[in-house]
Amino acid sequence: MALSLPVLAGSSNRKEVLAGLPVVHSTDVDTMRTQGEQRFRTNCGRCHAAPQKFPPRAMATVLRHMRVRATITDQDMRLVLFYMTQ
Amino acid sequence: MPCQYEKPRFPRRWRTLLPRLVGLLLLQFFSPARGHTQTAAQEKPVPILSGTVGVLPGITAGQTLLDVQFNPVLLVPLGERWLLESRGEFEGEFQRAPGARSFGGPVNKHLDYLQADYIANPYLTVTAGRFLTPFGIFNERLYPMWIRALQPDPLILRIATATSDGAMLRGGFPVSVRATFNYAAYVSVPSVGLEGVESERHVGGRAGFFFPGPRLEVGGSWQKALQDTRKNSVGLHVAWQPREVPLSLHSEFVRSDQGSGYWIEGAYRLSQARFWEKAMRRTEVVARGQQYFGGNLGADAAQSLGLPGVNTREADFGMNYFLKDGLKSVVSYGRQFSSAGNFNQWTFGIAYRFLIPLGRESHQ
Ligand code: HEC
Repeated sequence: MALSLPVLAGSSNRKEVLAGLPVVHSTDVDTMRTQGEQRFRTNCGRCHAAPQKFPPRAMATVLRHMRVRATITDQDMRLVLFYMTQ
Repeated sequence: MPCQYEKPRFPRRWRTLLPRLVGLLLLQFFSPARGHTQTAAQEKPVPILSGTVGVLPGITAGQTLLDVQFNPVLLVPLGERWLLESRGEFEGEFQRAPGARSFGGPVNKHLDYLQADYIANPYLTVTAGRFLTPFGIFNERLYPMWIRALQPDPLILRIATATSDGAMLRGGFPVSVRATFNYAAYVSVPSVGLEGVESERHVGGRAGFFFPGPRLEVGGSWQKALQDTRKNSVGLHVAWQPREVPLSLHSEFVRSDQGSGYWIEGAYRLSQARFWEKAMRRTEVVARGQQYFGGNLGADAAQSLGLPGVNTREADFGMNYFLKDGLKSVVSYGRQFSSAGNFNQWTFGIAYRFLIPLGRESHQ
């Protein structure tokens, strides 16, 4: 949990995460989390067993890799990253 | 002279859909960058060393083999939009000589990919270097031992999946709330890699639609060789994970000068079993059926590409047990049927995906 603090700590950071998500207009973190979990379930077990959460900075690299490899959309990636780094 | 009344090559729906898709693609390539950061990562990513270690003893046609693999993957993110990625393959295929106690044999080394990815905008990534050829789904998405549900390769794996050295455009974007579109287009030039592995001169592409509701992906691949035969290869793929049952279905079909064939595979997690629930949730049973039909290559040429020399059928069954994240034990049995002789193939072993961040976590 302590590891997830940087994501939510700075409001600018949080705004940035939210800004990239046209679908989620509300700044409701719970909605983001639910949507993130949904996208994670839909996307991350498609090719391999859905992985555990890794520390946020490692997760960011994995998701960049998966975004390229799995051609997952930008929007899905943002939500999954949000969920995975909670 | 082409006849005026020639049957249209595309069905009507495609004729209307295609220009729209192309328009959408072009619009998105040239759309101005958004004000905020473009990448998915809000966290500053660190380099990672990941990969697979696998030990797979097996018996093929009565011969005991020991297959040991080490596939390190290095990921180096640079700035907000770049990723350098590479995977090496070290594979020892050891056999026990008659009367000998220990196993011996060569260790093959291969550079699977070494590429730079530039995330140009949310819809386009540009890749340059050596990359896995995105033809069908097995080569690019299911190949690593920790991912594949059955360890033996599909018979058609080597068709149109020769290493690519060149450039690629790829990406994915939603086309409606119900579907996302993904694409890859590439061109490869000949070069000589490690261990004399030569890439081919070819162009190709893959496109697919993913429907998140039913969790269904349907797509097609095309490749044209720009050397020797200059022939086309085409493929179709389907991946489906119905929400109601813990089933994962994958299938590929390919038609080419090097041969044609298909495989279809279903992996079922026993998570709905009413007994030994804890163990059953970690257990997966798998079955795959496949066929290969020889093309215009001679038997020797086909075998040198890693394809069967004659028409072949194969059925495989397996069970995987997920011990923890990234670690699984596997067992499988398969039987191959062809005019060259029928034989059994047993595989046992473990596969582990490791992941080591190469940087400190706290950064602010
Ligand atoms: C289209 C298939 C596909 C999808 C969808 C996919 N992955 Fe992967 N993933 C792969 C492949 C293939 C590899 C292995 C890369 C290699 O060895 O070259 C991989 C590797 C990984 C690894 C190991 C580290 C690495 O980056 O290589 C992690 C962790 C991972 N994926 C997490 C995820 C998460 C989280 C998601 C959901 C956002 C996801 N994957 C979606 C295909 C996929």
